[in-house]
Amino acid sequence: MDTAIEIKNLTFAYSGKQVLHDVTLDIPVRQVTAFIGPSGCGKSTLLRCFNRINDRIPNAKVTGGSIYVHGIDINRRDIDLQELRRRIGMVFQKYNPFPKSIYENVAFSLRLSGLTKRTQLDEIVENALQSAALWDEVKDRLHSSAFGLSGGQQQRLCIARAIANQPEILLMDEPCAALDPLATLKIEELIYELKKQYTIVIVTHNMAQATRCSDRTAFMYLGKLIEYGPTMQIFETPKEPQTEAYVTGTFG
Amino acid sequence: MNSQHIFRDFDKAIDALRADVLLMASLTRQNLERAMCSLLERNIDLARAVIADDSDVDDLERKIDQSGMEILARFHPMASDLRLVVTSMKMAHNLERISDHAVNIAKRSKKICKSSVLEEVGLAEPLYSMADSILRDSLMAYTDANAELGQSLKARDKELDRLQKQMVSALSRRLEDSNGRSENLLHLIFIAGSIERIGDLAVNMGEDAFFLGEARDIRHESRKNLTLDPTEESADD
Repeated sequence: MDTAIEIKNLTFAYSGKQVLHDVTLDIPVRQVTAFIGPSGCGKSTLLRCFNRINDRIPNAKVTGGSIYVHGIDINRRDIDLQELRRRIGMVFQKYNPFPKSIYENVAFSLRLSGLTKRTQLDEIVENALQSAALWDEVKDRLHSSAFGLSGGQQQRLCIARAIANQPEILLMDEPCAALDPLATLKIEELIYELKKQYTIVIVTHNMAQATRCSDRTAFMYLGKLIEYGPTMQIFETPKEPQTEAYVTGTFG
Repeated sequence: MNSQHIFRDFDKAIDALRADVLLMASLTRQNLERAMCSLLERNIDLARAVIADDSDVDDLERKIDQSGMEILARFHPMASDLRLVVTSMKMAHNLERISDHAVNIAKRSKKICKSSVLEEVGLAEPLYSMADSILRDSLMAYTDANAELGQSLKARDKELDRLQKQMVSALSRRLEDSNGRSENLLHLIFIAGSIERIGDLAVNMGEDAFFLGEARDIRHESRKNLTLDPTEESADD
């Protein structure tokens, strides 16, 4: 199994307070890996280390260990962050389309990267919207505002926007937290389709969602990786008592 | 598994499910005991009671299936909770079949009791004692999620099989010189078959209890390959 992201003994701190402790795991290529755990366990922080989006937070930094993406140390000083974030797309909890048309939302970053030819833009926008299972719903109103779409459609537009950059990896931070059950199922179905092409890492509080759409699951608690393995093993026969207590919702 | 759930309703639902399985187990064992008493003590009323009360066991099987489905749909149980729900539903299915065998025994006992005394019925007693002890321990293995006890039943069932074969062989010899008792001797042979099947079903429940406790499916594995800790197995290799 090829590895997309290799995390070795990673530690991370916010203003000197350590929030990730010695995390080591390999994320396989073209599979869905879910991070689960209670709020504050460090799962989103870990996810945001992969495209160095944590760099934007003052006094937040990796204090030890390493992250290799397809063999490249992404914490090197000379790394091109724009290129890194093109290769590793991200979708957030609250869908955040730009205040532009549906078409421009997808084309925006392509234009930023210098692509101006209309026919090429049209092709990439259509492909991205097709891949995000949104094309049929928006093809007749591509130049309408993205804000006119439903929540689920706006989230799929954000996924299309990430896909347009042809990333290798997609990071999803609770992508369905603000969606109704039907819109959630559509995103989950989409995740299942997208993993044929992309490596996907998803943070979720919804354990049923993790069982439905992930291949491997990592359970984190208090900044530590407690258990990592095939999803069904984690949910059916967890090895660690803390994982058992979390997935069964028990205490005492 | 014994910890409390944050969602208390889940605890109540799980406790109720387990209580229904135990009630069903107790009714089933009672039915079996009465069926055997009717045979050994020539008591037709007991046999009739077994046949009538089997519907209570059937009702409980339906109730347990329904509760199990509700728990799966409402609470999405995971890990040991998921195993408990699935195992409970399987226990109910096995218990219902055991109760059906008790009814078969009772029906044949009624017929035997209507004829003159058949001394050979005594041959079934040690068979029943052994089957009932396997059954009792399979229920204990489920209640305590005792994998070791659940796993141990298969060996005891082999002894039960041996006793049953011995009994059938003895009865078959007597069939040749039965003096009009052949029908009742055949009833007794079928009763021995029912008791042997009860042992098999109790072994199934023991294997389910093993799955409940150890999260490992040991059905259809040969006895010699079984260890409680899979790492021990690989260490030996």
